[in-house]
Amino acid sequence: MDFFKKTYDPVISLAIISVLNIFLFLTVGAWTVGGGETMMTGLIAEFFLGEELARIPFWDLVFQPDAGYWKIYISLGMLFGALVGALLSKEFYWRVPKHLSEWVMITIGGLLMGIGIRLAFVCNVSTFFGLTPQMNLGGYLSITGIIAGAWVGSLIYKKVLEG
Amino acid sequence: MSVVGQCLAAFIFGSAVGFLVQRSRFCNTAALRDAMLFKTYRNTKALLVTMMILTVGFTTFMTFGDGYPLQFDVGINQIIGLFLFGIGMVLAGACTVSTWVKAGEGNVGAIWALLFTFIGMFLFSLVWSFTYWPPASATMSGEPNLAGLQFGFANAATLQEETGIPALFFGLIQTAVLYAIYQAILRKERSIAAQRAPASQPAVTTQSPLESKS
Repeated sequence: MDFFKKTYDPVISLAIISVLNIFLFLTVGAWTVGGGETMMTGLIAEFFLGEELARIPFWDLVFQPDAGYWKIYISLGMLFGALVGALLSKEFYWRVPKHLSEWVMITIGGLLMGIGIRLAFVCNVSTFFGLTPQMNLGGYLSITGIIAGAWVGSLIYKKVLEG
Repeated sequence: MSVVGQCLAAFIFGSAVGFLVQRSRFCNTAALRDAMLFKTYRNTKALLVTMMILTVGFTTFMTFGDGYPLQFDVGINQIIGLFLFGIGMVLAGACTVSTWVKAGEGNVGAIWALLFTFIGMFLFSLVWSFTYWPPASATMSGEPNLAGLQFGFANAATLQEETGIPALFFGLIQTAVLYAIYQAILRKERSIAAQRAPASQPAVTTQSPLESKS
C-alpha cells in the first residue's frame, strides 16, 4: 500500500485539517487541546483523591471533572489516529530518550507547558487554530508570548545541545 | 447535539488530525523552532496556510452568527502563560498536538512529557486556588481579582457588533497580512537557496542532523 508509505505534504494535510476544523467549529466548537488535557488531569486527580478533590476550589469552580467533556475525545482521537497511521506505515516502534539531559529537558518542558496552558487558559492549538483565526485579541497576545517563548527556548535548547 | 454526538464528532475529528499529522510530520513546535534555529520553513508555511484558510472560514460564518467561537477573557496572563508554554514546548520537543501524535508512534519521551503536562496543570490548579488569578472566562465561574490587567473579550463577531462592518472584512485583512508573511518567507527561502547554490558541492550535505528531530 503505497498510499500509507509516503510522507504527505504538510500544507495539503493541514488544509484538510482546516476544512474539518471549520465543520467542527459549526457543530461543537473549534479544535483545542488544552481544555481536554485539563479535564483529563481533573479525572485522574479525582481517581486518586476522590471526593477530596472538590475541596480544591479550581476543580469545583472552573473545571468540574466530567468524562462527557467533548474536548477530551479530540486528544484521544489524535492518539488513535497517530497509532493507526504509524502502524499502517510500519513506523511504530518504541523510542526511548537515551541521555539524562533529554529526560531533564522533557520533564521541565512538560511542566512548563502544563503551567503555561493553565495560566493562559489556552494552548498553542487554540492560539494558532482557534483564537487568532477568530480574530480574538487574546490570540495576538498569545502569539506574541509563544514566539518570545520559543525564541528563549531555542537559545536554551541550542546551549544544551552544544554544551 | 447530544453529549455522545459531541464526543463522537470530536473523536472522529481527532483521529483524522492524528493520522494526517503523523503522516505529514507536521509539528507546531518545529514551525517556530526550525524557523528560528535552522532557517527552514517547511512547517511554518503549512501553519500560515492553515491560519489563512481558517481565518476566512471562521469569519465568514461569524458574519452570519454561526458556529461556536472560543469565549475567553483576554488578559496579560495569556502572554505570560504562552511565553512559559513556548519555552516548555521547545525543551520538550513537542507541543500539545505532537505529544499526542508522538505518543501514538511509541515515543516514550512524549508520553513522559504528557505526564508532566498533567502534573504541571495540577500544580497550577493548586496555585490558582489560592490566588484566583487569572480570572476564569465568563462561561466559567471563577472569582476574578486583579481585574485591571484583563482587557475584556473581543473577536471578529464583537468587532462586527461594534462597527457594523461584516466580520469577514476584518478576516480578509488578517488573511492579507498572513499572506504577506507567507510571501516574505518564500522570498527568504529563495535568497537562502541562492546563497547556497554557488558553493553547492559541499553545502548540499551540510543539512543538520537536528532537523529531522522535530
